[in-house]
Amino acid sequence: MVGSNDKNKLSLTIRYSVATLLLLVMVFPYLYMVLNSFADWSQVDRQLIPSSYSLKSYSWLFSGGETGTPRPWLNSFFNSVIVSVGSTVLMMVFGIMVAYALAKIKFRGRDAVNNFVLFHMFFPAIILLIPNFLVIQKVGLYDTYWAMIIPKAMSLWAIFMYTNFFKAVPTTFIEAAKIDGATEFQILYKIMVPMSKSITTVIFLFLLMERWTELLWDMIVVRSDEMLTLNVLLSQMFGPYAGYPGPMYAASVLLTLPIIILFIIFGKRFKEGMQFNLK
Amino acid sequence: METKNNNKLGWLFASPYLIYGFVFFLGPLIWSLYLAFTNWDLIAPNYDFVGFSNFIKAFKNPAVQSSFWVTYKFMMVFVPLVTAASLAVAMIVQGLPKLKSVFLIGFFLPYLSSGVVSSLIVKGLLSYNSPVNAFLRDTFGIKINWLGTPFTALMIVALIIAWKFAGYYALILTSGLESIDKEVYEAAAIDGVSRRQRFWTITLPLLYPAIYTTLILSFGVTFGIFTEVYQLTGGGPNYATNTWQMEIYNQAFKNLQAGYASAIAILAAIVTFISIFVIKKLLEMWGKRNGWV
Repeated sequence: MVGSNDKNKLSLTIRYSVATLLLLVMVFPYLYMVLNSFADWSQVDRQLIPSSYSLKSYSWLFSGGETGTPRPWLNSFFNSVIVSVGSTVLMMVFGIMVAYALAKIKFRGRDAVNNFVLFHMFFPAIILLIPNFLVIQKVGLYDTYWAMIIPKAMSLWAIFMYTNFFKAVPTTFIEAAKIDGATEFQILYKIMVPMSKSITTVIFLFLLMERWTELLWDMIVVRSDEMLTLNVLLSQMFGPYAGYPGPMYAASVLLTLPIIILFIIFGKRFKEGMQFNLK
Repeated sequence: METKNNNKLGWLFASPYLIYGFVFFLGPLIWSLYLAFTNWDLIAPNYDFVGFSNFIKAFKNPAVQSSFWVTYKFMMVFVPLVTAASLAVAMIVQGLPKLKSVFLIGFFLPYLSSGVVSSLIVKGLLSYNSPVNAFLRDTFGIKINWLGTPFTALMIVALIIAWKFAGYYALILTSGLESIDKEVYEAAAIDGVSRRQRFWTITLPLLYPAIYTTLILSFGVTFGIFTEVYQLTGGGPNYATNTWQMEIYNQAFKNLQAGYASAIAILAAIVTFISIFVIKKLLEMWGKRNGWV
């Protein structure tokens, strides 16, 4: 009996060691990024773990760098916030509205709309890149925030997730509220939305993360420097032959940090939502 | 009366999608089909109808041919890699009595990174004087031009994307593993079934729905790669990492051949659609044949 206990202990220790090792391998690029953003410039990309540190990369980034003009980094950070939050909020609101109609309102043509959503969802999006760009150009939105927000204001995935969630909500809740004289909008915002807290957290975080890291679309619909999002600026600044690896890592940290902070803040609810999500 | 009200209300609630679907999906889809048969250059006001010549040109173009093959080459590396990695992570983490969610969230972190950031980090790690290359050079005398060699460049792109998705898929697989009844394993242990047999006869069949989900997701990822390739290799060397999106982007926004690029986009959509359909059918057949579904 004692022997089997020892064996269990040993196998657990091995498990934990392997898991920790795997975790280190997975998180290593992040560690490398953070350490190099603080590393002395002579050591960036020269050592796996730098030995001397300075804040030079960050001060370069925020003070002026090469050109001496107030750096575009904070401005593009701000752009990213406007565009991602704007798009994500619209995706959530529209997603909830449309899903409610598809799940809980019996109207003529619902099946047709539902099928159309599914068809749209499984349609390879790549074919739409050029014509959508042309739509934006034709309506005069090229090089504006709207060009980055409006075409990304609808998430089929969010509609799909919410429709499934709302379908599982018993209709008696809604009928009871109706008898009490609640309008459909009230039912939606006072009953359905609060009920969906955990799944809403998951959907919101995933959509925001995806929008925050979008490259292709934001790259083609915006031209002027002051409109660039952080991700696009990072991509353009540190292209193939760029120098300044230290600031490159600092800017990468700047881009990564907000999302990680959000996931940590909403960590617990995210976990609950994921569990529901994956059932 | 009630239904009439419902009809109005339903259409009202669905209207944001209907407007969006018309402006950014159906309309553009038709426009794109039309453009594919013209020689429009994105700037000039006039363009001509050129029939199927864009499609014929695309078939003959080595860049388009390569983007076709690159998709499947990438798939053959990426899908097994990400499946094996996420399965390994899920199996190891599953057996931990404590700190399970801490590990899972740690593994999930790469999923939050922007493709631009992960590409820049990898580029730094693989630069000529990087610690990795310096080590290989000084100790073994090996010099590898990681992003300049077709084979290694493709491997690196597949590796970064697998790194990104493994933790996310591990979450899906862990919840699949958690739903398996412990008693089945206990019964098998009493019957003297070996560890390896237990994996093949219990875990795999019962985990099949979760594995199916991750496989479909990862096959889907294969057809939409852009950021990592754009940032790391620009499609090179010698088209080795030239994806559909990369080729369409180049033709439309660099060479300004909107009509031609639309034709390539249509080909890409057809290839994607057929591939995903066939893969789905094959996976379902595989599951049914083994009696897992």
